[in-house]
Amino acid sequence: MYRKFTYKPWLIALVSLVPFVLASGHAEAGSAKKPDYTTMSAEELAEYLIFEAKGYDIAAKTQEGGTVGDRLKQDELQKTCSKLKGESVDGETAEKVTEMAAKSIVYPKGGITLGDWKKGQALVQNAFGFRVGKKTDDHSKRETGGMCMNCHQLEKSMVDRSGTVGPSLIEYGKTLGMSEETKKHTYKSIYNPHAIFPCTNMPRFGVNGILTQEKIADIMAYLLDPESPVNK
Amino acid sequence: MHKANKLLWAGKTLLFAVPIVAFAVTSPARAQCDNCTKQDPKEILQGLIDQTKSPYLSQSPQNLMMMDDNPAYFVVDDGKDLFEAKRGPKKVSLEQCDFGKGPGTLEGAYAEMPRYFKDTGKVMHLETRLAHCMKTLQGISKDDPEMKNKNEIRALMAYVGAQSNGYKWNPPMDHPLEKAMRDAGEVMFYRRASVLDFSCNTCHGEAGKKIRASVLPSVKEPKEWTKAVSWPAKRVGRATNARTPSQRLYGCNWQMRNGKINGNSDAAIAMFSFWTDAARGESAILPDLKR
Repeated sequence: MYRKFTYKPWLIALVSLVPFVLASGHAEAGSAKKPDYTTMSAEELAEYLIFEAKGYDIAAKTQEGGTVGDRLKQDELQKTCSKLKGESVDGETAEKVTEMAAKSIVYPKGGITLGDWKKGQALVQNAFGFRVGKKTDDHSKRETGGMCMNCHQLEKSMVDRSGTVGPSLIEYGKTLGMSEETKKHTYKSIYNPHAIFPCTNMPRFGVNGILTQEKIADIMAYLLDPESPVNK
Repeated sequence: MHKANKLLWAGKTLLFAVPIVAFAVTSPARAQCDNCTKQDPKEILQGLIDQTKSPYLSQSPQNLMMMDDNPAYFVVDDGKDLFEAKRGPKKVSLEQCDFGKGPGTLEGAYAEMPRYFKDTGKVMHLETRLAHCMKTLQGISKDDPEMKNKNEIRALMAYVGAQSNGYKWNPPMDHPLEKAMRDAGEVMFYRRASVLDFSCNTCHGEAGKKIRASVLPSVKEPKEWTKAVSWPAKRVGRATNARTPSQRLYGCNWQMRNGKINGNSDAAIAMFSFWTDAARGESAILPDLKR
């Protein structure tokens, strides 16, 4: 016999049950099954409430092929920026986040090009996509958007319907021109804005898969093209 | 008064279609919330606007005008009827329910929730406490129609809520669990996640900011935040006449692409503990009328 170890599923199943049996025995000894919240740190308790205590429907499927649970797990950048609790970013964090973000940026093959500003205009106003819940956005029925106007003023004629959480981008192209540097800056600002503005409120549209490179090119055309209403 | 209110509302709805007539006729008309405590909700809001000039509080002059005739007042009245009705297998009312200030004391109770309840060993919010009383006092189980009728639950919440109108938000922090839940809620408020990297703070961290056409309240300004957390409220243009804090919390999370947060979970109660604490010291506006 040269196979020293034979795979025994029943044995693995039995061994893997041991901690659960121990844990349930332990829980029954107390009056409640849930742990003592007062012994946990605020961060530990928040994680427990979200993932273990049915805080969210974490098993619900998402449009990108994962689950709500996957979405709610924080990545390193989200964790780092959450620690600021809304205060402005300190030097050390800024450096760490900028570096992390710079590494994440994927540039289009063949350089940064501008698309169709009219398509960009539609994308900027379109806030459809990626919502999951009682109503879930069906991506096969409608194109998903960039939701830019929720937070930015872009066209003078639409300011009363435009958000102000982000800075105004009215006359963006008129102000910054169309140099390669401007294009690169704009691409980064959309793909992963933390590379320029660490711990910004703005989503990482490229990294997180909200906007394709083609859609980013259309939105960039809308921002930079002299014919776009942004610059008129 | 109840019927007169209803007629008045119907009349006003009609009059909005004829603005010239409306201007001539509505100005002297005045209804009020019979089943709310203290000042009229409108006067509380007007007082806050006068003090702060907050763009969030003052963004809808139309709503302010309509607050005298808030449709949610009818929901409060319905809630009172339901609250006092002998219901469930035990055929008793909810009048002996203890919302934290002793059985039968409703005035100011909601302004001090969520809070720790000795009988359950848990921090509970209005919705979970109401369900607890329906179960223990009335014998209604979770699969019974009374527990599943969301409109009735909303009406009960609107009534109990209105008994804290004008009371200052003052959730207790005496029990270690109350503090633990509030602190976990704070972490969740600032916790960035999901495909848009948002936290609650993204939209509610600074006063005077707009998402599209809406000015949003800041968690750092208690005089704004008190209106933000004053639910149940009628939302103009929405189907139901009184929406709950859980519906607000669900809506925000849905927009943040966070999926469905469960309104009666400890996660939701932790959020409510933090957000009520952030409004501490300011008067509740209940029921409110929101855009």
